Amino acid sequence: MQTTIKIDNKVYRIEISETEDDSLKVKVNDKDFFFTKNELGKSRFTDSYAKNLNGETKGNGIIVRERIDKEIKSPLAGTISSIAVKIGETLKPGKKVATLIAMKMENEIISEGYGKIKEIKVKENQSVNSGDTLIILE
Amino acid sequence: MIIKNYKILKSTNLKAKELAKKGADPWTIVVAKEQTSGYGRKKTAWSSPKGGLYFSAILPKSNIDDLQTLTILAAFICAKTIKENFNLETFIKLPNDVWINGKKVAGILTENIIGREVKLSVMGIGLNTNIKKFPKDLENIATSLRIELGKEVDNGKLLKQIIEGLKEQLRTISE
Repeated sequence: MQTTIKIDNKVYRIEISETEDDSLKVKVNDKDFFFTKNELGKSRFTDSYAKNLNGETKGNGIIVRERIDKEIKSPLAGTISSIAVKIGETLKPGKKVATLIAMKMENEIISEGYGKIKEIKVKENQSVNSGDTLIILE
Repeated sequence: MIIKNYKILKSTNLKAKELAKKGADPWTIVVAKEQTSGYGRKKTAWSSPKGGLYFSAILPKSNIDDLQTLTILAAFICAKTIKENFNLETFIKLPNDVWINGKKVAGILTENIIGREVKLSVMGIGLNTNIKKFPKDLENIATSLRIELGKEVDNGKLLKQIIEGLKEQLRTISE
């Protein structure tokens, strides 16, 4: 889909297309912006740095993934009540990795990006502190 | 406040999480007349036959400390609502339960989904209101307002009072 918009007398050429991995590419004049939809149903902007971190090339197009962290850390002190992933599993945004019982609440810890699990640093019923590494990604 | 009423659900928390993921507004309230798989902390079963008040609120994005405070305050709000409406003496078993005469009458479970920050939060409350009788395995540990008062209560009125209490408390602690 192509269109033009005018803001403050400046004309922008907009071209919207889907990439091979269902991301959305929005080309504004000559600059590309990429968006992915996570499992929470929200479109997220993924910047061009992402391709350097975890990008893949398919055909002629660069498939841009979300910027990922190499570790998933515990956001809170508490007890890991269950682990929902295995070593070698590939994560994507919104994927539940563990349940943490903390501060009188049950907290589902999710991945925010893509990545393959290299190591799981915690076991069920283990106590963790805020900031402790739960999972290491390749 | 948007109230979504269901005849039967597996769990109001599960439905609230599902709706929140689809973008439902904060303070959307999911109410079920009956739950087939109601649960509390550590997925312990919460008996949810017809007659009880079972609901979950999609909470506004808040910091995790405020959510913890609200979870504890929710038990106080339930206890206060029961006391003010029916003059029943309640006992709060911290952090999440309300008891009357040594038996559980209400339970609260807050569930969060957290990535780099809190993505969504739902608070589920199960209040044993118009339950006439509990099964044998629960009759010594659970009670209802119907059993304590000998008469039925208005679930809709209690729901609104509790939700208003939660909203007010969250406003206060977030300031």
